[in-house]
Amino acid sequence: MKQQNTWISFDRWGGLQARESRLAWMLISPTALIVFGLILFPVIFSVWISFHDVTLRNLNDVFHAPFVGWDNYRNVINDFAFKFQGLRQWGAAVTSVVYSFVATALTVLLGLVAALLLNRPFRGRGTIRAIFLFPYIAPIVSVAFVWRWILDPRPSGVLNDLLMRMGIIDLPKAYLATRGLALVLVIIFTAWRYFPFAMLMILARLQAIDGTMYEAAGVDGANAWHKFRHITLPELRYVLGAIFLLRLIWTFNKFDDIYLLTGGGFGTNVLPILTYQFSFRAFNFGKGAATAMILLGILGIFMLVYTRTVMRESE
Amino acid sequence: MNLIDRLAQSITWPRFLFALVLMFFLTSILFPFYWMVSSSFKNYAEIGGREAVYIPGALRLEAYRELFDPNDPHYWNFGSNIVNSIKVAVPTAIIAVILSTLGAYAIARLRFRGKGFLLNGILLVYLFPGVLLIIPLFAMIARIGSTLGFGVQDNLPILIVTYLAQTLPVALYMLANYFRTVPAEIEQAALIDGCSRFSVIWRVTLPLSIPALVSVAIYTFMIAWNEFLYALVFLNSRDMFTMPIKISMIFNDPTPRLHVVMAASTVMTIPVVILFLALQRFLTEGLTAGGVKG
Repeated sequence: MKQQNTWISFDRWGGLQARESRLAWMLISPTALIVFGLILFPVIFSVWISFHDVTLRNLNDVFHAPFVGWDNYRNVINDFAFKFQGLRQWGAAVTSVVYSFVATALTVLLGLVAALLLNRPFRGRGTIRAIFLFPYIAPIVSVAFVWRWILDPRPSGVLNDLLMRMGIIDLPKAYLATRGLALVLVIIFTAWRYFPFAMLMILARLQAIDGTMYEAAGVDGANAWHKFRHITLPELRYVLGAIFLLRLIWTFNKFDDIYLLTGGGFGTNVLPILTYQFSFRAFNFGKGAATAMILLGILGIFMLVYTRTVMRESE
Repeated sequence: MNLIDRLAQSITWPRFLFALVLMFFLTSILFPFYWMVSSSFKNYAEIGGREAVYIPGALRLEAYRELFDPNDPHYWNFGSNIVNSIKVAVPTAIIAVILSTLGAYAIARLRFRGKGFLLNGILLVYLFPGVLLIIPLFAMIARIGSTLGFGVQDNLPILIVTYLAQTLPVALYMLANYFRTVPAEIEQAALIDGCSRFSVIWRVTLPLSIPALVSVAIYTFMIAWNEFLYALVFLNSRDMFTMPIKISMIFNDPTPRLHVVMAASTVMTIPVVILFLALQRFLTEGLTAGGVKG
């Protein structure tokens, strides 16, 4: 940075620094305007909406919506779809946390296994790596509906057909419409779809590990497990932590995957779907915004705990 | 030594395990895609029969006819949805490349006050869920629209702008990272020769950055092509639907039309996979560098 800019000071015009700064702002302002206008302002506006009674009726005159204090939050917290009512009815808050933690852990684990698999050279590795990325790049709508079709409740669904042929089940099952099982399947789907992201990041880190460390360990008589446990894992620690946090945030925020698989039914209702239902099914935008704020609050707690514990340890 | 012995010798435990895990991954990844394509060639009877049909009886085009043939009784007019998706995804990609090129150049090459603040602000985007943003966006645009006289719903340009907001941050990071690898000395030489900043960007930096520009274009195209939530909220009439919303509508048809859903999904997936395979090397780098949101 420093080196590439020193030449500027030799310029004979005064105020070049200011000119450069002006040019920079000119170049970046369209992007900044779109991002701030359509992301950061809406976030602030969302806080405002969550304290006001905004419905379809007053949407055109939203700035005069009546202030209702914490009413929207109270409504959300007391909503049966939100609150925990025992082990059979988790409610969206608990389901969200469980779903995103388990799904993220599984995603990172699968990504690690896949990355270790592709780390050493073999014939066709490039092709196989490309194939491994398919779930991640394919449109969510296509893959979600293929999975629904594979898990179809009719006897023509593949899973039903296979399990009945093997004699494991007698009658076709509605997998995605069974409480508990639906959540497990949604978690497996999430891991299936997003492990390639973890794989790519881990693979990049793995290829940067100094090979002589393994050679030295081999000379000292370490077996494959020892090498993995004492060289690979410590080297990967930081990247694994970063991927976990990133994927946790994104999984926690994710709407499409579960919405397309179960519509949020059968014990898979998570906060993003609840937000959508309150806002665009019941058209209670205030309540929806309050749900989104609660989601953001939980996210903030994750981040705080994470930076306090995991990040500090790795320093 | 006979063949069996030789085979037995070459199969060691680690190799066996390796092959087993590899097979597990490959089947679980490829089977859904096989199932999608093969189901698109099945007919109604094969979809809803008493048993699963693993290989369609013939290459039946029933499902595709339903999607594209106006004479079919179940005609879905899917062609118009493809056009809508293109109308959204192509402008998103082009505008994103232009805007992020300018912004990324500023970030990579110029010094200016507020750069750190700006970068952090743009990074924050990673944190906010789409569902949180869509409520205020909807209210905001409804309010602006009622003043200026345009509708929020069924308005493809609005969709393009929201996709830009989602993709620009990553595009900016991907390009800025790349621009830093272009040696600054080349640009300085051009500047000293009397080129203006813009002609330096146009004649020196951009030609050197074509791979990065292509991957940003493809990446933003794919995001807009695949996007579901914003399209679901902002589009109302079936003529304006982009492909994902139309596919979900076909899926929810009272008579099960899974072969048609699979055909439409195949049509939607193939361009993405082809683009990806063609530009795999660039894209994979971009995926790791930008930490693409998904």
